[in-house]
Amino acid sequence: MAELGHGGKEIKERILGPEEAKKKIKGLTEYPIRSQLANEVIDIAYGYFSPLEGFMGKADVESVCKKMRLKDGKTVWSIPIVFDMSSEEIAKYGVKPKTSLVLTFNGNPMAIFEIEEVYEYDKKSMAKDVFGTDEAKHPGCARTYALKDKLVGGKITLVNKPKINEPYVPYFLPPLQLRKIFKEKGWKRIVAHQTRNVPHTGHEWLMKGAWFQTYGELPMDKPYVGVLVNAIIGEKRAGDYIDEAIILTQDELRKAGYFGDHNHLTSLTFWDMRYAGPREAVFHAALRTNLGLTHHMFGRDHAGVGTYYGPYDAHRMLGQLVEKDLQIIPVYSENWLYCPHCGEITSESLCNHKKEWQKFSGTLIRSIVQDGVKPPRLIFRPEVFDLVLECAEKYGFGSPFVDAEYLKKRIPVFEIPPLK
Amino acid sequence: MADKYPINLWVNEERYQKLEKAGLAAMCQEMLAGLKCIQVYCNDAQRDKVLKVFPTAKFDSATTKSIELLPRKVKDKIFDLVVEKQKIDIMDEFLKQF
Repeated sequence: MAELGHGGKEIKERILGPEEAKKKIKGLTEYPIRSQLANEVIDIAYGYFSPLEGFMGKADVESVCKKMRLKDGKTVWSIPIVFDMSSEEIAKYGVKPKTSLVLTFNGNPMAIFEIEEVYEYDKKSMAKDVFGTDEAKHPGCARTYALKDKLVGGKITLVNKPKINEPYVPYFLPPLQLRKIFKEKGWKRIVAHQTRNVPHTGHEWLMKGAWFQTYGELPMDKPYVGVLVNAIIGEKRAGDYIDEAIILTQDELRKAGYFGDHNHLTSLTFWDMRYAGPREAVFHAALRTNLGLTHHMFGRDHAGVGTYYGPYDAHRMLGQLVEKDLQIIPVYSENWLYCPHCGEITSESLCNHKKEWQKFSGTLIRSIVQDGVKPPRLIFRPEVFDLVLECAEKYGFGSPFVDAEYLKKRIPVFEIPPLK
Repeated sequence: MADKYPINLWVNEERYQKLEKAGLAAMCQEMLAGLKCIQVYCNDAQRDKVLKVFPTAKFDSATTKSIELLPRKVKDKIFDLVVEKQKIDIMDEFLKQF
């Protein structure tokens, strides 16, 4: 049976076998790509970005920017997926419609890029449409302004699968594989927990709350609902948790019994965050639809940055789209906190001991971890804390947070091996 | 009154004993489910200097209104100065060296 993804289209992997790949790339010009584009090549080829089959042409980009839909006028899509090249590169590599490039990463062939279009674009206008601002200090705008002067649209076909490095191997679960796992588990509903964090109990309760909300009227005789932690793995900034700590501690919540195999699974998606707030929330909804999820948890200021977006802007935008245009149900959540009066973790929308609330922001928790002081288990699970410190030693050159040394020496999440 | 911006120094058993000896244990607050913390305060100028001198530090304007993510060694030095001077009003002296 066909696996239908976002927009009701069948998810099809765009990956060639090694023999066919070798034949197809013969004689093609090679073009090396940076990690962001390599991430997106993987996302396109494995169906994370379905129904996209490649990088967007001008009509798609304009439609996405102005109408938040692909050029078909129907399929909701909120963030342009673009491939940039400089005019000099376009001349040097002979890039023009009806030609193909071999995209390389780590010096090895990764994908065939069938060029359909080379076009100009307006960075400022694109930034304003997508991010609601054209301020260069917005990280999404900064990323847009850093793009080269031309965009190239066309289909992508992977010719060489990425070699995922440890400790990430168990967590690279592309859409078709993930959907198979869900079937094996017997889950009828799966709710996404989007993360870039080591989990404190506020995060744990976001997941538990979302699980309750998702379970709804389903019977309890078997575990019918799962939480999928989908960690975003992409460009790191100084002060972020290291990727190894994020993915392993998220899974530790299951291993240490705060969840179980029957209701919790950790996975990753390669994506460089744009911090587009509401538009990024819509993008996440499409992405997780492709992963086979039925529900998606959205907290306050989902994928926001600074004060660019209101805490419920994403909820409002999703609310306008949910019934007609999305195939995933948003599950909204308030912040979770510790209430000393209740003696437990509770939600802002449940507890009324407002004056006694002890809120714990991610920044505050990072500060505690950085000081090496073990927090109470009600705030941070001891197994998670110990694992963070272990990851710091094993992968982070002594720190659980990204610094210059980590960026320089870290184990890459994936590599493209030589094509055998 | 001028705004005050706290730096949270998290207190484990070892630090608590040092604060007791310095006569400052009573200044500890229970911040998170019993986790103790002693706060030293910055004024606007001190906050700005801290953020400038230690670029990894962050002023958490959204939730806690505190200065966070100072390097561990820096916070250790601030804590040692608190214990040595037996007071929490030490930021002027601490920042003199920078």
